Order: sequence, then structure tokens, then C-alpha cells
Amino acid sequence: MRRRLSAAYEWFDERTAIRSLLRKGLYEAVPVRGAWFYTLGSATLVLIILQLVTGIFLTLLFVPSVTEAWQSLNYLKEHDAFGSIVRGIHLWSAYILLFVIGLHMVRTFFSGSYKRPRELNWVTGVGLFVLVLGMAITGAFLPWDQAAYWTAVVVTNIPAYTPFIGSFIRALWRGADTVGPITLSRTFGIHVWLLPAILFPLIGAHLALLRKHGEFGSYINYRGAYKSREGVDVPPAPAQRPIEPPYPAAPSEELWAAPLQTEDFYPHQTFKDGIVSAALVIVVFILAVAIGAPLEAIADPATTSYTPVPEWFFLPLDELLVLVPQQLIPLVLVLPTGGVLLLLALPFIDRGPERNPFERPAVMVPGAFAVLFVVILTLLGSGRLFNL
Amino acid sequence: MGHRDPRRLSRRQFGVLGTQVSGAVIAVLLGIPIVGFLISPLFRQQQAVWRKVGDIAGVPDGEPTKFEVAFPQDVWTTAEENLAVYVVKTGDNTKVFSNVCTHMQCPVRWETALHQFLCPCHGGLYDINGANVGGPPPKPLPQYVHRTDGTTLFVQNRFTEEI
Amino acid sequence: MIALLALIAPAFHGLQTQLPAQAPQGNNIVGAQIAIGSLFSLHILIAGLVSGAAELGPAIEFLGYVRQRRNYDRLAHGLGRFITYYFSVSSTIAILLITVLLVGFWGHFWTTIVTIGWWPLFIEAWTFVLQVSLAYLWYYTWEPMRAFKGVHMAIGGLLAVASFLQVYMIDVIASYMLTPTNPQNPVRLALNPTSYPLTVHRTVGNLAYIGFAFGGFCAIRYLRAKTAENKRFYDWAGSFGLLWGVSMTLLQPVVGYSYAKEIQLHSYGSWYKMMFGSLSPVFLWQITLLGIMFLTATLYFARRLRTDEARGSGILKLLAVGMVLTTLLAAQPYALGFSYETVAAAGLNRPFWDGGLINPLGSMIPWKVLALMFYTLIAIAAVVWYLRGLPGVVWGSARRGEQRILMLMTILTMLMMVTMGFIRENGRGPYLISGEMTIQGQQAVPSAQPTPQSSP
Repeated sequence: MRRRLSAAYEWFDERTAIRSLLRKGLYEAVPVRGAWFYTLGSATLVLIILQLVTGIFLTLLFVPSVTEAWQSLNYLKEHDAFGSIVRGIHLWSAYILLFVIGLHMVRTFFSGSYKRPRELNWVTGVGLFVLVLGMAITGAFLPWDQAAYWTAVVVTNIPAYTPFIGSFIRALWRGADTVGPITLSRTFGIHVWLLPAILFPLIGAHLALLRKHGEFGSYINYRGAYKSREGVDVPPAPAQRPIEPPYPAAPSEELWAAPLQTEDFYPHQTFKDGIVSAALVIVVFILAVAIGAPLEAIADPATTSYTPVPEWFFLPLDELLVLVPQQLIPLVLVLPTGGVLLLLALPFIDRGPERNPFERPAVMVPGAFAVLFVVILTLLGSGRLFNL
Repeated sequence: MGHRDPRRLSRRQFGVLGTQVSGAVIAVLLGIPIVGFLISPLFRQQQAVWRKVGDIAGVPDGEPTKFEVAFPQDVWTTAEENLAVYVVKTGDNTKVFSNVCTHMQCPVRWETALHQFLCPCHGGLYDINGANVGGPPPKPLPQYVHRTDGTTLFVQNRFTEEI
Repeated sequence: MIALLALIAPAFHGLQTQLPAQAPQGNNIVGAQIAIGSLFSLHILIAGLVSGAAELGPAIEFLGYVRQRRNYDRLAHGLGRFITYYFSVSSTIAILLITVLLVGFWGHFWTTIVTIGWWPLFIEAWTFVLQVSLAYLWYYTWEPMRAFKGVHMAIGGLLAVASFLQVYMIDVIASYMLTPTNPQNPVRLALNPTSYPLTVHRTVGNLAYIGFAFGGFCAIRYLRAKTAENKRFYDWAGSFGLLWGVSMTLLQPVVGYSYAKEIQLHSYGSWYKMMFGSLSPVFLWQITLLGIMFLTATLYFARRLRTDEARGSGILKLLAVGMVLTTLLAAQPYALGFSYETVAAAGLNRPFWDGGLINPLGSMIPWKVLALMFYTLIAIAAVVWYLRGLPGVVWGSARRGEQRILMLMTILTMLMMVTMGFIRENGRGPYLISGEMTIQGQQAVPSAQPTPQSSP
């Protein structure tokens, strides 16, 4: 039996070269120290796959129509316990995904991993972040309950403050002057087809680039780390052991080209990845079963008692909408757009070789300000909504 | 290759040109209908409809009163959607306000304690005449086109001014 | 331990529900008000420092550990010494405020507020115990626990948490007095409309204040320093304090604006008083002072870089010019009289070119908002360019001028703290608890908020 299987494998390998592919994929070198921080990337991937799988199955029931979207989800809630769990997983893994992808980004920012030659890893990553945010916002429109309806109204109205072409963009998304049937159809299409069609190839590119240049890790893995030790003025000697591919990451500055110590991706890194991802999935599952995905009353444009509350990840922008006075409303477009453009430009602005976050205050401090402003706006926004 | 007349296309250049032209043809033939499909709803005229709001004889003077009106959703569906209107009578003058905030189009409500219209989303405030008096709204509260027949109020699914 | 005590606390709470109808009243109301006003200012000035130091100190110690820098450790240790010296002064004033003035002069108010804010005040009392025991432990185990730095930093972390909790709990009470909610629900009480903005505003403010304060202190020590090592340390620490102070202060416009927004929505009378009424001149002074603070800091940055001919001094001078222009815009009065209220009462609320006394360039929206935004942006740019220039600075070479700026900065910050305290304490007037209890009568009056009018 065993011989038969092995023969079949040989046959298959002869035609597909699966063995060398697997070897390349699994036994690549990764930096040793700080490896628990590198699990954020794989956790992001696992959560996105969770989204894909649960999303596919949700389309087996969901009807993207203003008269029936809410009904179909209400049916799910009332009559389909397992379907409700699937929807719960879809919602909670999205929430946790947004959180984890943010942490992943902050980690990369602080470790300076975006520097030469990994600039495009960062750029594709920013693209993925924006796409995931887009998925989250469009997904929030779909249930067509009160929360979804008013989210749709406010979110599609924000681009209307673009100078000159604002109301055109709003109408393009809504398919009319007001939110209605075409809005839901279009947003559904964007959510299940348009954005994923860009998202998944971009994930492929992100991973391919990661494999090409190797995981950077943290400055503590490199000879350049000597600078943060007081009284040490000379870099330690280069490693005596042979440097494994994909290192040295070329063209990179000598002190930051190859980690001092590496280990195999499989099973050492995959062990940590697996633990973190499994823990997250367990949390998602518990939340999906215990809390599930809420469904409020069906959308009612005539309401004068309902208070629209934004999704939590939308809170900083919502608080900006409160704070920015009438003459300056386009600022709520300028600030996020400017923020994304700055993120895209980051590896081309911060080009020095230094990776230690404490030795790059001119980049870390504005970054910290940005994070602080977002956190403070979120706090203020949640306090305001609580007291409405 | 070098001895060829440089003014004439080489076989290679011809191949490059042909590939590019084919690509362009496909892109244009696909692009035109798709872009047209996307923007076509923008050029569709919304049908103007009059709907009866109700009898406004009982509306107290100087206090906005809410009514609901059903308007067609205006595409393929025959379902109608309810919209809220606030009727304000001051003396002989009747104004019919929408509850759509001019800031982010959230549902505005009349707050008796404040004696103002409040938008709960971002704290926009309008006075009883619909003027935007506080918070972020850039314009006054929109008013519906309306007419009265005795004490019966009719409104059209259009605002007096674009928002 | 707190949790355990919290469990048995309701038993005591039950004893408190019977209120005396009228507590004995002080005879000299004005005198008492002056006493309370000055004592509160003193209290804010010292308590802000202690709680700022107890939050910043552990953070600096951690930074020093991560970066393996002795300077940071020495600075954190110094802050620890400051806390141990001044904790008793600070808490003496706080207790004096409560026992002598609040209980003595405004007994009814005190009983009411204790009944309403039993939980926060209960936790508040325990944070004092925690703070003092942790602060002494943290300071006196510095050298003995050098080998167990992780444990020591954990003690510091707890100290920071206790200090934050202390500020948060008293802010719950303070914000409730301005924007009351249903006091029966402890969650509503703890998250009343202005409790988040006030807590963030004060925590960030205290953190900035301690930075500016030790900046000024280090400037004095620098000028008196004899050894080269001390000169290096105090020069660096002064610069660090100012840099930290500015970095925190530049968060304040956003937080403060949001705070004002909540007051507008939930306590309109106070808001009107601050923006258009009798407190508006103080508010104008405050926004101007903020500009002067940022300007002074930018000048320090420019001068400090110039002293060592590090790069960036030119750009910082340009930023200083921008800050001057912004401050001039922010300092524009809206009403060319005492306040908008008095101008409107005289029927002169027209632009000055129509014979009125209104200066449209001084309006909050959009001009003051724009000025606040420019403050923030220019301050961020100044901080970043100073940081970019810092590798070219040799510590220990600063001149007298820079140190004078640092001292001036400390004075400006104290002025700012007193101004803020003044606005806060007077914003509620004539109420002690907004809309419910007045200063004079101490009687609970039925909720009678001034009716909102259209804001001009």
C-alpha cells in the first residue's frame, strides 16, 4: 500500500514538480527572534480565507434586493441556527480581521520592514488594507436593516463633498439621487465580485514578494542592532554560518541584509502561526455562537426615532464629521485620502538604512501621532454615541 | 535587418502593432457598454408624483408635526417607501420639511425641549424655519414642493432646492 | 483588593441615602469662593504635576530599558523622587479642600455629590492609597531591584494605572457637575457626556504639563551644573521635556474642541457663557496663549539646533513665522466689546463696517477652527524637524537663551493650567451642579437650562 502511494506520488511529481514546490514553500528560512509578532500576517490571511468561505456560503441564501434582503437574513435568524453561525463567523471574523490587519501594519511600520528592497511589499499591503476596509464598509450595507440603511446613506454621501464631481460620484454609487434598489445591487456586486477580484490577486503578489525578499523580522535579528547598546561602537562580525536563501535580501545594506539566526518556516514558524490563527478562529467561533450577527428592524427612511450609529471601525471618521464645521467638510475626504497617500509614499520618504524604531524618531513620532489621533477620535466618538 | 528601409514596418514591428491594436479594440468594445451601463441611471429622469399627506387642520400653530408619505421607489420594484415630512404652520404660512439632514442625510427629528430640529448623527441643529443654526449642516433643511386643497396637503417627491 | 472592597461597599452606601435638608452654611460666601478658587488653582497646579509624573515616569523608565540608555533611567528616577516629595503636599491640599472648604462651607453640596458619586469617590480614595504605596515602592527599590528590572517596571506600570484611575474617577465627578446624567445608573454616571473628553483632555494635559515643568527645572539645574556630565544630562532632559510637552499639547486642540462640542450639546448655557458670554474673553486669551506656547517651543527648537549648527534651524524659523501668523488669527476678538452677549444686548451685533462691533474674522467657525488646525499641523512639523536635526546636537553645549525659553515655557504652562481651571470652575455658574444646584442657595432647583438660541 505504502509503495503504491509513493509510486503515485512519483507519477504526480513527474508531471507537476509538486515536490520542489512544496520544498520551496515549506523549508524556507525565517528569522528566529520575535517570531510571535510575525504571526499577524498569517492570521490576517487565515481570517481573509474565513471571510471568503463563509461569504460564498452566505450567497447561497442572501437575496440582494431592498424588499427581500432583510427578509432573507431574518429567515436565517429565525429558522436556521447553523446559517446564523455562518453569518456570525462572517461578521466577527471581519471585525477581528480589521483589528489584526491594523496590528500587522503597525508592526511592519515600527520594525521598518518596508525599507529597501521590500518597498512593494508595503505598497501591496497598503492596497490590501484599503481593500479590506472597502469590503467591510460595503458589507455593512447589505443586511438592509436600519443600521445598514443609514450606514449606506451616510457613507455614500461622504464622496458628495468632493469638489466639482461630488454629486456625480454619489449618484454613481447610489445609482440614483437617493439610496435605493440600485444602491443595494451595486454594493452587493462590489462586495462579492469587484473588490475580491482585486483583493485575491493582490494577496498573491504580497506573498510572492514576501518569499522573494524573505521575512525581514525585527532589527534585533540583525548585526545593525548594536547601535542601540550604549558603549558598543563596532558592529559584530558577520555570521560564520552560510546564509540561507532567500537571504541576503539584495540589494539591501550590508548590516540589514541577512538575519543572524534563521530557522525553517515549516514546522517552526507554522507552529506559531497555527497556534495564533487557531486561537483567533476559536474566539471568532465563540463570538459567532454566543453573540452572532445582529439584525435590527427593517430599513425605514421615515424614522424620526432611530439614531444611526456607525460601525466601530468607522468611528474616527464619524467623529471627524461631527468636529469639522460646515465650511470645511471636504476635510473629511482629504484627511483619509491624504493618510493613504502618505502610507503609500512611506517607503520612498523614509529611505535611510536604519531599522531600529528608536533610531528613526522623525518617522516614528508622526506615525505615533497618527495612531494617537485615531485612538482619541475613536474614544471621543464612542463617548458621544453613548450619551445620545 | 539593418539593410531594410527604415520607413517600412518590419515583421516584428507589425506584430507589436497588431497586438496593441487588437487589445485596444477589445478594450473599447467592452468599455463603452460597461461605462454606459454604469452611468445610465444618472440620466434617468425621476418621475414626479403627487401624494396626499393628509388633513392638516389639526396641526398646531408653531409646532412641527410629523406625517408619513409613501412614494414609489422608482426603478423595477413596485414597492413604495415611506418618507417623513414635517409640517410647520406659522399663521397662514405652511412649510413642509423633509427629515433629511443636509450634512450627511441622516434622519432629523424635532426636539421639543430644544425647540429645534436635531440631527442625531453629528449634532446638526435647525430652527423651526429650517435654517441651519448649529453643528455641521451646510444648508437649511430641505422643503418639499407642496400644495393644499382646502385643509388637505399634497406633496411632490421633489425638493424646492437640490441638496 | 479594590474589587473585594467594592463588593462590600453597597452596604455602606445604603446608610447614606437620607440627606440633611439644609447643612449649616458659611457666612462669608465671597470669601469662601476666593479661598476655594485659589486653593483649587494650587491643587490643580500641584496635583497635575504629581499625576503626570506618576504616568510619565514609568514610561520613561521603560524607554530607557528598551533603548539601554542611562539618561532615561536617571530622568525617571528623578521623577520618582519628585513624586515621593510632593505627593504629601498634593494630597494635603486635596484633603484640606474636602474637609475644610467643601464640607465646611458647602456641606449640602458635598453630601449630595457624595451620594451621587459614591462609587467614583470610593475608588478615588483607594487610588490614593495605591498611588502612595506604589510610588514609594517604585522609588525606593530603584537600585535594589536593578537586577529585576522587569518586576520594577511592572510596579511602575501599576503606579501609572493607579494615577490614571485617580484622574478618571475625579473627572467622573467633575464632568457630572457640568453635564449631569441619571445618577442612579453607575455606567451612565461614569460615561456622562463630558467624562471621556475631560479625562482625555486632562490626562494628556497633565502629561504635557510635567514635561514642560521638568524642562524648566532642568534648565535651572543646567545653568548651575558644575560637571560636564550633569551639563549633558540637564541639557538633554530639558530638551526632552519640552519636546514631550509640545507633542502632548498638540493633541489638545482636537480633544478640547470635541469637549466644547459635547458641552454645547449637553449643557448649552455653560457653552454659551464660554463662547459668547462673560467667559469669552478668557477663552480668547486661552487660545492666544496656546499659540504663544507653541511659538515659544518652536523658537527653542530653532535656537537649540542653531547653537550646534545642526540642520533644520532655518525651516523651524519659518514655522515660527507661520505660528506667529496663526496666533494673530486666533487672537482676533469676535466682539469688539467685552463679549458678544454685551454687544448683542447693545444692539451692535453687526459687522464693524456697518457700524456694529462684530469682527467676522474672529468667528469660531471657520477661522478659529482653522487656526487650531494650523496650530496642530505647524507643531507637528516643528517636532518632526527638530527630531530630524537632533543627531547633529551635542548635549551640554546649550546657551543661556535656550534655558530661559525653557523656564518661560514652564511659566506659560502654569498660566494655561490656571486659565483652564478658571474657565472650568466658572463655566457652570450660577450652578454647582449644572441645572440642579446653585452656589448661593444650594437648593436643588428644577432642571432649568437656559433655552438654546440660534448661535450667531
